[in-house]
Amino acid sequence: MFHVVHFESVDELETALRRESYLADEGLAVAVHLALAMRRPLLLEGEPGVGKTEVAKTLARILDVELIRLQCYEGIDSGQALYEWDYSRQLLYARALQGGEIDAAARVHELFGPEFLLERPLLRAVRSGAGAVLLVDELDRADDEFEAFLLEVLSDFQVTIPEVGTIRAETPPAVVITSNRTRELHDALKRRCLFHWIDYPDLEREIEIIRLRADGVDEELARSVAEAIARIRTMDLLKLPGPAEAIDWARALALLAVRRVDEMSARQTLGWAVKNRDDLRMVESVIGEIVGG
Amino acid sequence: MISGGPADGRQDTAPLEVLAGFGRALRAAGLVVGTDRLMAYCQGAALAAGDDLYWVGVATLVGRREDLPTYNRVFREHFLGAPGPPPVRERPRTTLLQALPLGLKDGDGPQAPELEAAVASAEEILRRKSFSGCTDDELRELARLMARLRVEAPMRLTRRRAPARDGRPDLRRTIRRSFRTGGEPVERAWRARRRKRRRIVFLLDVSGSMSAYSRALAIFAHAALRTDARFEVFSFGTRLTRLTAALQARNPDEALRRAAEDARDWDGGTRIGDSLRSLLDRSGFARLVRGAVVVICSDGLDVGDPAVLKEQMARLRRLAHRVVWLNPLKANPDYEPLARGMRAALPSVDVFASGHDLASLEAIAAAIARL
Repeated sequence: MFHVVHFESVDELETALRRESYLADEGLAVAVHLALAMRRPLLLEGEPGVGKTEVAKTLARILDVELIRLQCYEGIDSGQALYEWDYSRQLLYARALQGGEIDAAARVHELFGPEFLLERPLLRAVRSGAGAVLLVDELDRADDEFEAFLLEVLSDFQVTIPEVGTIRAETPPAVVITSNRTRELHDALKRRCLFHWIDYPDLEREIEIIRLRADGVDEELARSVAEAIARIRTMDLLKLPGPAEAIDWARALALLAVRRVDEMSARQTLGWAVKNRDDLRMVESVIGEIVGG
Repeated sequence: MISGGPADGRQDTAPLEVLAGFGRALRAAGLVVGTDRLMAYCQGAALAAGDDLYWVGVATLVGRREDLPTYNRVFREHFLGAPGPPPVRERPRTTLLQALPLGLKDGDGPQAPELEAAVASAEEILRRKSFSGCTDDELRELARLMARLRVEAPMRLTRRRAPARDGRPDLRRTIRRSFRTGGEPVERAWRARRRKRRRIVFLLDVSGSMSAYSRALAIFAHAALRTDARFEVFSFGTRLTRLTAALQARNPDEALRRAAEDARDWDGGTRIGDSLRSLLDRSGFARLVRGAVVVICSDGLDVGDPAVLKEQMARLRRLAHRVVWLNPLKANPDYEPLARGMRAALPSVDVFASGHDLASLEAIAAAIARL
């Protein structure tokens, strides 16, 4: 059915990721490579803004398959993650049929036909199999019970709908799970997954990331932004800026035609890098040191 | 699927025994390395080139960021043959608690009827006796009384909906039922948001100035944990310690002994502001506080910067549902919150009470459920 893209080596995968403007550190490249080769879900943890979600998006592009995203939130249940019947339409249909139907059994069968089935991300991923990358985003936001349910789906990629039957993925899709670690995920789930903690990149890598991701940012601006960001990260802030913030900040500065970030331009645009009021005040008070040097 | 382990023809990877030995070494160092993880590691090692053995292990054998330093050390020792320095195990400084074990018996036997009346009035007296004046025997008795205390948190609405008698229409069940009546929704079903108890987070001041009370308050927290296992207990003096796990022991004596081992700053000075900050900065801890009822037990005698305390209390209040402050000094009718720390904290406190004896703790336990 689908041509399964295969990468011979970690280097090859890293190159493919880079072609799609994603700069993976060595550990991440190994983890992604293994996840694909071993057909295991990949669990990515790390501070917000280090590019966890982006891994799944990029992976979908290089495998040339659809990205199916399941955004988790508190209270999410199987009806929102797996499937739901379209009850209002079923009701209307049943009403429309009331004009003296003879073959009732067939009509009832139709009521649970595919056109009344609302496909949610997990069912869609099972149906697509290798033709998709499934992104389970911010799993730590969902309740524990949902995690157990997800584990069940992830272990056999099989969904049973009583009225329809069992749907099974021939080849499981690539799965990327992200967590911001607001709570610890269960061990059972972790054991199924390959794990990688994405750290903040070092200076040179960050410069490269900014240049890859932000159009119209030259080496000089990228370097000055990365250096300032690195200094901000040494401060005792509530929310440290990630590469995502660095990219946004560089873009904003480029739009203002700034050649390298200085005190004035930093003051005007600091909100792109630091997004908490208390933090902002703290950084502003030492802005000279942040951009200096 | 993947057909082979390390033996399927790629000769540049490490032999199986070396990999398995690495797994054993990690286990010995305290990581949870099951056979499934080890198999994944061998598979991965066969798939990736030899240079990546380190990263293959990170992806397959490590499940938590905290385990990475241990992993790094064992990896160095095992593959690079460089033994790291042996881990130094700090001896916990336990003073107050270990010196005075509570020595409770599990479940006291039934008492003779003629004794009961005398016991009842003795209980009444003890109920109003300040913790600071209690002997060890009396504390033991208090622990027994507190074990009967139910500390219930107020309810909150969750996002989840469940079948209910009224609320919003439940289409799924209504339609299901309508099939029985020929597609006519005669019997209608409803869904309403579920209610869930909030969490209570206890923050116990275990600094020197609170030493007369901290044991009794720890017993109180222990009793509360028995009511609801989702509650959390932290202690602070000069730094913050999570005591929840230690206090989960059934026997209060054992629980307090473990707690004393965990909280090394028992009987030191107080830095409330900094302790609060470390609670709120750790995203895992901050999540525990969100929407919870926070009960701080402290006399507010803070050696830290009051500005820090003020700021952190304001943060705490934004995150928590209600903030309760128990200050034993308040039992004195002449007490006024003049201490700089207490003054800085008060604007962010919803309920300010004493909690110096059992009667006041009982009143507070009842009040919390209505917050």
